[in-house]
Amino acid sequence: MPRLAGNEGRMLAVIAECLYLANISMAPILGFAIILWLYYRLPPKGSDLARCHLRQAIAGSIWAGILLILLNAVILLLGGYRSTNTLITLVLYFFTVHSALLLVGMAGLANAMAGKPFVYPLIGRPCHD
Amino acid sequence: MQFRSQAVAKPYFIAALALFTGQILFGLIMGLQYVVGDFLFPLIPFNVARMVHTNLLIVWLLFGFMGASYYLVPEEAETELWSPKLAIVTFWVFLAAGALTVLGYLLVPYAALAKLTGNDLLNTMGREFLEQPLPTKVGIVIVALAFLFNIGMTLLKGRKTAISLVLVLGLLGLAVLFLFSFYNPANVVKDKFYWWWVVHLWVEGVWELILGAILAFVLIKVTGVDREVIEKWLYVIITLTLITGILGTGHHYYWIGTPEYWLWIGSVFSALEPIPFFAMTVFAFNMVNRRRREHPNKAATLWALGTGVLSFLGAGLWGFMHTLSPVNYYTHGTQITAAHGHLSFYGAYVAVVLTMISYAMPVMRGRQANSNTAQVVEIWSFWLMSVSMFLMVLFLTGAGILQVWLQRVSETPLSFMGVQDQISLFYWMREGAGLVFLVGLIAYLSSFFIKGETRAA
Ligand code: HEM
Ligand code: HEM
Ligand SMILES: [Fe+2]
Repeated sequence: MPRLAGNEGRMLAVIAECLYLANISMAPILGFAIILWLYYRLPPKGSDLARCHLRQAIAGSIWAGILLILLNAVILLLGGYRSTNTLITLVLYFFTVHSALLLVGMAGLANAMAGKPFVYPLIGRPCHD
Repeated sequence: MQFRSQAVAKPYFIAALALFTGQILFGLIMGLQYVVGDFLFPLIPFNVARMVHTNLLIVWLLFGFMGASYYLVPEEAETELWSPKLAIVTFWVFLAAGALTVLGYLLVPYAALAKLTGNDLLNTMGREFLEQPLPTKVGIVIVALAFLFNIGMTLLKGRKTAISLVLVLGLLGLAVLFLFSFYNPANVVKDKFYWWWVVHLWVEGVWELILGAILAFVLIKVTGVDREVIEKWLYVIITLTLITGILGTGHHYYWIGTPEYWLWIGSVFSALEPIPFFAMTVFAFNMVNRRRREHPNKAATLWALGTGVLSFLGAGLWGFMHTLSPVNYYTHGTQITAAHGHLSFYGAYVAVVLTMISYAMPVMRGRQANSNTAQVVEIWSFWLMSVSMFLMVLFLTGAGILQVWLQRVSETPLSFMGVQDQISLFYWMREGAGLVFLVGLIAYLSSFFIKGETRAA
């Protein structure tokens, strides 16, 4: 794989990371939908760099969805709605996990801008099948 | 070191670290007073300890900024400092003024101190962060003027780079905005209104320019990335800062008696304030990613990345947490505020000053980087201080949520002190994290005394 992809590939990689970040901040779901659309539209011979970052964005978004929505729901159900302990756990959990997810995306974005592949720690997937 | 006069930065950095240590000790005293109410009573009352803690913070950061400027500007301007002598004189004046002020806080009752120092001549004291007696405030202005003059003259005779211009713009703003500390209208609404021009427009305005410039300087040094690239980032960051931060002041105008439109202005603009911090983090990561050399100073690189990440967390996320007016309605002035105050000050300004010290101190001591052992200890201290600070902030956030709930949301609200009893467990944990922070600080300081093999600068 060429280390520095063409400009177009790099652009797409940057967009992928931005969409991942948008999906967990300003534009949930919409961001994810566009990532998927971009990924399936990418020709088989398309940029490896873009593919790598798109794959991270997809895996990361799915994990984010699970971690943020599902686990929050479980905590809520287990702790009951009016309990203050639930509230504290929930807010602290949300802020630590959300911070971590954002930072992963920011590292991904920085790598995309530098034209480098990047695999999200823990929640990413390999750049190729 | 390229220019001999850069060495005047050294005493500034040493004083900064000494005062930093004092700040932490007073933080620990207060943390204990939170749970053991009469600890050190009547020797050091809580309000006095608080004043010492926050004022030491501001003063040592200013020492750090000045030291950083004395190091950075000659190197960027490619010329000796206009007057190293003046820099040394102002150093001693500032240190003496700072020491006298802290002694005044500790030894003289505050009201008596106010009388003694001519507060009835021009009433400026008694406001959070701006507690300094009139002579100290005047002293600060004189030192700032001498400092700016020295830096300005250096810049005028040398090369003008984007980094040093942004730095000087930030320093000028710092000095000009401090003048509002002399303006203390009798009307409490107006008092608070202009008080924030110092406090908010410092940390979410001009100080961010200083932060960006110092970070950019260190990143150029440790990564070797082209100046043009770094300058472009810097311009974007300061533009974003000013666009969001100035009107973002509105997030302090929700409940002080100012017109209702501030609810909207404050919410909208301050909600965008995380963006420049976001950009700063991506900037730091991006530069380290593209680095063209392996600088032997690993610790400085870590601090630079840490500044990006921690300032985004503390200012960006923990700021956003309570910045929308419907949220702030509940959280205003609670432990949530303290949590944010700690992580933002630490993550942005403490971290950037330590980044600069980490990069510049070895060079001033005649080597490119410290020995491996010294760096390992410094890297440990980074993690110890940063993780314990993060934990401290999580505990304070927990305390804050409970406080809001029991005191402001509940249908059967408890009194302020009733709530404090309920959340003491969190305060104990905060004190525990604080002790770990102290261990980290001691490790940090000891890293300066560790010898070992080094390369000449
Ligand atoms: C490095 C930058 C920052 C620092 C050092 C900082 C520090 C502080 C401090 C010390 C306070 C408490 C002031 C007091 O004594 O009342 C405060 C309050 C506040 N900060 Fe920040 N801050 C920063 C950035 C931000 C950002 C970016 C936001 C918004 C996104 C923000 C939102 C707030 C809000 C809403 C309050 C008021 C809290 C209340 O109502 O009690 N801050 N900040
Ligand atoms: C050992 C670590 C520390 C402990 C135990 C500690 C403790 C405290 C306590 C108890 C307060 C008073 C809160 C109140 O008025 O109710 C306070 C205020 C403050 N501390 Fe610390 N502190 C520590 C470290 C730091 C550090 C490293 C910084 C700066 C980076 C810092 C910055 C501040 C600020 C800005 C305030 C004012 C906060 C506000 O008004 O919301 N502290 N600290
Ligand atoms: Fe503010």
